[in-house]
This record gives sequence, C-alpha cells and structure tokens, in this order.
Amino acid sequence: MTNTWYLYLFFAAALVFAGLLGLLGKRNLIKLFIAIEVIGKGISLLLLSTGFAKASILTAQALVITYIVIEVSLVATALALIINIYRQTKSLDIRDLAKLKG
Amino acid sequence: MVLQTALLIGLVIFSVLAILLKDLLKSAIALAAASLLLGIIFFRMNAPYAGVFEISVVAGLITVLFILTIALTGAGHDVRESKLVNWVFPLVFVAFIVIDALVMKSLLGKVPALPSGTEAGTFGDVLWKGRTLDLVGQIAVILAGVFAVLALFRKRDKHD
Repeated sequence: MTNTWYLYLFFAAALVFAGLLGLLGKRNLIKLFIAIEVIGKGISLLLLSTGFAKASILTAQALVITYIVIEVSLVATALALIINIYRQTKSLDIRDLAKLKG
Repeated sequence: MVLQTALLIGLVIFSVLAILLKDLLKSAIALAAASLLLGIIFFRMNAPYAGVFEISVVAGLITVLFILTIALTGAGHDVRESKLVNWVFPLVFVAFIVIDALVMKSLLGKVPALPSGTEAGTFGDVLWKGRTLDLVGQIAVILAGVFAVLALFRKRDKHD
C-alpha cells in the first residue's frame, strides 16, 4: 500500500508545483485561474489517495465532494470578477491591475 | 497499477498543457481532459461518488464556465506572455520531478496522517451522519457564490 501511496503523493506534488509555476510565470488572468485549478486537482488527488492508503476512503470522498462544491462556487465568483475586470480595463493582463489610479 | 500510472502521467501532462498552451480555448479543453482522467483515477480508487462529481461538475460545468468567460472576454489576445517562461517552466518542472522522486519516499513516514482504521457503514452514512456540518457549509458556500455573482452583475438603477 505504501508504494501506491508514494505514487499518488509524487504526482500530487507534481501537479501542485506545476500550478505554482503557472501562477508565478503567467500574466493572463484566465491562465492564472487555470493554474489555481491545477493546484486544486493536486490537492484533491492528495486527499483521496491518503484516504485510500489509510483505509478511510469514505471520509476522503466526503471531503473531496465538499471541496468540489466549494470549487464551483469559487470558479463562478472568480470568473464573474474577471469579466468585470475585462469590462473596466479592456484587458486580461494582470499587470494592468497594478495601476490603481481611478 | 500500470494503467493507474499511465492515467496519472496523462493527468500531469494535460495539466501542464493547460498551463503552457497559448490558446485559452485549448487550455480549457486540456483542463477538462485532466479532470476526466482524475475522475477515472477516482473510480479506480473505489471512490465512485467523487469520480462522478469530478467528471460531471469539474470536467463539465467548470469547463463550460471557462469557455463562456473566454468567449465574453475575446480570448485575451492582448496579453503578451513572457517568452522566458516557456523555457524556464519545463526546466524547473523537470528539476522538481527529479527532486520529488528522490525526496518523497523519505517523507512518507514523516508526513502526519490519521492512523489506518476500517470504516463502517456506507458512503451515505459517512456523508449524512459523520460530515453533517460539511453539508451545511456547502449550502452556505453555494448561496454565497450565487449572491456574489448576482452582486457582480448588478445593473445600475435610476437613482445612481
């Protein structure tokens, strides 16, 4: 079981790191949000694989479903914010948000 | 085990593609493909409910929301990404994979986790009886999301 757990943890860490790199390097707001989604995928894989390895898959499933519901709410709100930002600045560039002139 | 490893490798490849591809539409579709693979991995880990949620909600609904936003914002052609990132990203990522492979095995015993224990009952018992407060929290989060979207798309009334 430890070998399987190792495999899942290895790939979950890779997903989280890929998302972090995307967050650091990209400038498009939608791209940044896709990177956050990738980090979320890594976290849900980590949760479920730990539940699988520790023989508590049912609790892990309940946690992952809670996370997915929160994710949907977060995505809807964040994409609405992105659309509003685009209407204000006519751009999706994150650097335009650094100019806080009114 | 081999199939599971192949699915995990596919998941990482599609996730990296979702970040690296220049076309936002292709990125969103790569993210949906990654969600689909994650859902299949959940199914194979004896977690059918999480798999169904992952495929229907994340691969379906969230992808639709992403594509809608991309359509409404004109695909963000105006954003000039740094060219350095396209070179640095794969190099740093491969370096991390090597470090990950070397370090993760020694971390396994040290990462705190709940002790192993067998669970009794069905998934419904665990969700409705064991995690009742989570469900209440989910309802609150959905309502908060709905009100946030309503507030963000509010139209100006005549008094403003």
